[in-house]
Amino acid sequence: MKGMKVIVIVAFFMWATTLAGAKQPAAGNPGNNPVAPQGGGPRFDQAAVERGQQLFVAQCGFCHGSNATGGQSGPDLIRSVLVMDDENGKQLGEFLKVGRPDKGMPKFDLSQEQTKDISAFLHQRITAVVNRGGYKILNILVGDAKAGEAFFNGAGKCNTCHSPTGDLQGIGAKYDPVTLQGRIVMPRGRGGFGGGPRRGPVEGQALRSFPTVTVTLPSGQSFTGLPLRVTDFDVVLRDDSGVLRSFTRDGDTPKVEVKDPLQAHVDMLAIWKDSDIHNMTAYLVTLK
Amino acid sequence: MKIKNYFLASGLALLLAPSAIFAQGPLDPSLLLKPATDAWPTYHGDYSGRHYSTLKEINASNVKGLTLAWVHRVNLGSAGAIVGGEGPDSALAGGAGMEFGGPSIKAMPLMVNGVLYFAMPDHAFAVDARTGRQIWHYVWKTRGGIHIGNRGMGMYGDYLFFETPDNYVVSLDARTGKERWHKLIADVKQEYFSTPAPLIIGNHVIIGMGGDSLDVPGWLESRDPETGEIQWKWYTTPRKGEPGFETWPDEYSAAHGGGMPWQPPTYDPELKLLYVPTGNPNPVMAGQSRNGDNLWTASIVALNPDTGKLVWYFQCSPHDTHDWDATQVPVLFDGQIDGRPRKLLAQACRNGLFFLLDRTNGKNLLSKPFVESLNWYKGIDEKGQPVRDPEKDPQIAGVLVSPTSDGATNWPAPSFNPDTGLFYVGTSQSYAMFYLTDLDLRPQGWGAAERGVGGVGNYLRAIDYKTGKIVWKHSTLIGAQGLLSTAGGLLFGSDGADNFVAYDPLSGKPLWHAGLTANPSNAPETYMLDGRQYVVVGAGDSLYAFMLQK
Repeated sequence: MKGMKVIVIVAFFMWATTLAGAKQPAAGNPGNNPVAPQGGGPRFDQAAVERGQQLFVAQCGFCHGSNATGGQSGPDLIRSVLVMDDENGKQLGEFLKVGRPDKGMPKFDLSQEQTKDISAFLHQRITAVVNRGGYKILNILVGDAKAGEAFFNGAGKCNTCHSPTGDLQGIGAKYDPVTLQGRIVMPRGRGGFGGGPRRGPVEGQALRSFPTVTVTLPSGQSFTGLPLRVTDFDVVLRDDSGVLRSFTRDGDTPKVEVKDPLQAHVDMLAIWKDSDIHNMTAYLVTLK
Repeated sequence: MKIKNYFLASGLALLLAPSAIFAQGPLDPSLLLKPATDAWPTYHGDYSGRHYSTLKEINASNVKGLTLAWVHRVNLGSAGAIVGGEGPDSALAGGAGMEFGGPSIKAMPLMVNGVLYFAMPDHAFAVDARTGRQIWHYVWKTRGGIHIGNRGMGMYGDYLFFETPDNYVVSLDARTGKERWHKLIADVKQEYFSTPAPLIIGNHVIIGMGGDSLDVPGWLESRDPETGEIQWKWYTTPRKGEPGFETWPDEYSAAHGGGMPWQPPTYDPELKLLYVPTGNPNPVMAGQSRNGDNLWTASIVALNPDTGKLVWYFQCSPHDTHDWDATQVPVLFDGQIDGRPRKLLAQACRNGLFFLLDRTNGKNLLSKPFVESLNWYKGIDEKGQPVRDPEKDPQIAGVLVSPTSDGATNWPAPSFNPDTGLFYVGTSQSYAMFYLTDLDLRPQGWGAAERGVGGVGNYLRAIDYKTGKIVWKHSTLIGAQGLLSTAGGLLFGSDGADNFVAYDPLSGKPLWHAGLTANPSNAPETYMLDGRQYVVVGAGDSLYAFMLQK
């Protein structure tokens, strides 16, 4: 059954992309939005980075800023071509032996090891900028929990399906605030960059948030199940007994109906005010 | 149609077939000036970027009989290949540079004198257009860079040109695949990477590049096809003293302002204007260090191809903060506006707006949303440019924005069909939360994080160019996608579920489809060869050729 699980997940992904309006990475259709450098990027010796940081702050920070993004008199070194082209302190070391006296930068007497450490710190900083997938989201809890609760029971009509003492009990302890906020907007889960949900249900995840499809044959016989694939030309579903069924389509035959239990969330996408999202997040984190 | 069974038979037939007969030859430059019929001589097929063919042997009445002619699956191994490149030998392990998401043919192959020429990251191929058999393979030892795709080649006589992820332009002899020379374009250590197909205009090889991870300058350059030497460079942001400089706070922010031109440009040979769509500004999503409109990022600019001098510009996303570059195809055609013939340029932009311009002077004629979900702008100003809503810039606590950074559409080629007067484009209505993460007065790189939260549907759409009205839309599993329309009353595209589809261009109804092993990865193309019309499409690691059954 392992193979089947893979099929289901892939197919759900395809389904999710229909709802999400997301593009399939597998379809070879990305923009220029790579999420990570090739091969995951360089690795750093953390001890060297920390030694380099201490040295940098003490020796260079006054002019270049303690985080190397530039200061009163020294340029931003994250954008320095000399630093970007440096290999393990080699070019940096040669430069530091001379400095740039015409621009007021003195030479520095540093050991090779010290230069290597500073280089490690600067390259780690550059890599952190490049690695946009690793950016840390800041404190998003700026909303008003009471206003969120009022929205939940009022304009948002959330209480028609959800309850703080029922399905949402303890939800504030289950997810971190950013995940929780994403799930308020789209409970099927959220993807990474620029797209919609990037995965289908995982093992153990409730399937109730995923759509169902009903295929009705000309004879009147009908089949309902999880839509693994719905295109203009074929439908594949898995019924409650676990049986996979596939159908070819010719125009409106057979009849195909898809029901999305999260249609209200999809409809909300065009309606949300950001302040309501912030307030709802602040409210739901209190449901520990 | 059961393609997979056909593969077996077809593959066997290829093995048994006698040697292919082909007669390679140089590209006749006059082919670049007219819609291609017996060639596909440049990335867009011709200079106009319309992705429209006058061919109609294959048409709406017989398309049901369209069947597989051959399939060519690329072999990325270096055994038997011509090897070049500046990187270490170890770069050849595992098929040279491994592409993001697996090998995918995002090139539009050139078809000249019976031979298809295309590139992938670190690879170039010549394939017999009659049989799909490989003629030669060139592999590049890479020094690194992001391997996300390659849009293909440019051709000048017997010379081919393509770019590499580590930012070299390589020239090959089309007859043998042997390298003539390679030249460095940009520094891979500054996170530049190069995907565009070079465009040939006269004796200019026009080259762009990409890369917005660090805050580096972007430019377009022209090189001599014989020597590879630089003829001119045009920077995508103004230098001090140039018009447009006032849209940046200072010299430093403009010089680090990005704007990578990574889509092959289009060209009007009568007006002698090169139309270049430019990329997003840097830092990408944290705009606090670059107050102003940030010209000429996220713009369409017209340049003189002989000098690289700017003639006019139109900015699609002033002060963009969502990675919405304007590097979508600027499509050139002539039409009637208010009863008068006009030379037009149309673009369905990543930000979700359809722009129609007078391509003689850049004057805006129409700006209309082509999807329903946009929530980031307050209106259109007197120049036809959108006025962004600053409240939808990335915020610490998150803002819900449509489209996501992937855009309402993206780089794959749309199609304009002069028979229907409709502009066809693959679209997405996605939403994401955008979080400002870099609060520094001098932010770096992207400066924000993005989390997708679903969407309200992808559609293939037909836009009336005169009004911007959506004439029809058809639900698809893919958003942006490459398209081709023909005088045979057909619109070729895909459904996002690995089906190559011929749609009715008047209604969007599917007329024919073939299930492939991957979804088409760029636009289809078509040409006549030996008196028969072929339709060729790249999907994943394979090229598929279709023709009518006899």
